[in-house]
Amino acid sequence: MSFWPTCLGMLAVTFGSRLTGLLVRMRLPPFWLRFLHFVPIAVFAALITPSLEGSRGEGGIRVAAAALAGIVAWRTRHLALTIAVGLAAFWLLRLV
Amino acid sequence: MPLWLGVAPFALAYAVLARNAGLSIVETQALSLLVFAGSAQVSAVGLFGRGVGGLEVVLTTFLLNVRHVLYGMSLGRVVPMTRRERLIGAYLLTDEAYGVSVARGARSFPFVLGTEVSLFLVWNAMTLAGALVGGVIPDPERLGVDFVFPVAFLALLVPLLRLRVDVAVALVAGAAAWLLAKWLPGGVPVLGAGVSGALLGAWLTR
Repeated sequence: MSFWPTCLGMLAVTFGSRLTGLLVRMRLPPFWLRFLHFVPIAVFAALITPSLEGSRGEGGIRVAAAALAGIVAWRTRHLALTIAVGLAAFWLLRLV
Repeated sequence: MPLWLGVAPFALAYAVLARNAGLSIVETQALSLLVFAGSAQVSAVGLFGRGVGGLEVVLTTFLLNVRHVLYGMSLGRVVPMTRRERLIGAYLLTDEAYGVSVARGARSFPFVLGTEVSLFLVWNAMTLAGALVGGVIPDPERLGVDFVFPVAFLALLVPLLRLRVDVAVALVAGAAAWLLAKWLPGGVPVLGAGVSGALLGAWLTR
């Protein structure tokens, strides 16, 4: 794994995005404004599903714990609480 | 500031995941100091842990952070800044800093900078704490530390789902990534499902 080139690449695209908006006076077409609205929704969802099952044969437990965490996120919109409940549920379900 | 309450545990979770993915303390901290973008950092270390190549990690980072273009355009319109202030302001720009600055009706650069710097300090202090703790957790795999990864992104995703079309895009992208991950390696499913999901959403709301 080539950490440092990757890290610098991440710096470049992140800082680049942040600076572009502040420096350039431009108007994006409405289609691409809406596209940008949906990018985090689609990417976050795409990051969740492949890593949900895990590789230790605990898929059922993990999905159940994640569902509970999802309900907590929906009701509270609280990041830390959601992660805590998800992990606690995972550990408890494992003991059962 | 209540904002810290959300940022601090997320930084902690990031650092523990990063150490679990095989990053050193210096590398874990370097991402927080240089990139300073929570969700992109968590996704990057998750992909690192799965052995994904650097180019895919950078592209995923770009996809996750390209929304900052919008924040910059919006902030640049309401807050007058010199060229040098724009450089510093851009380096430290985050979802949270943008949200607070706009919500509180910030009109001056010092207010924006104060918010940004405080978040930067909390994020990096908690990264260091998590990196130190993460290194001494015995057998993190058995504790299920890798389960933090999907749950953290679930916690980021759910509050974004306001309309039915948001839910539809999330379901389609999630299902597509899950299917693609069976055939394609590494970060390709995330990029493919992310771009096509966002295109679908933009098309559905035309």
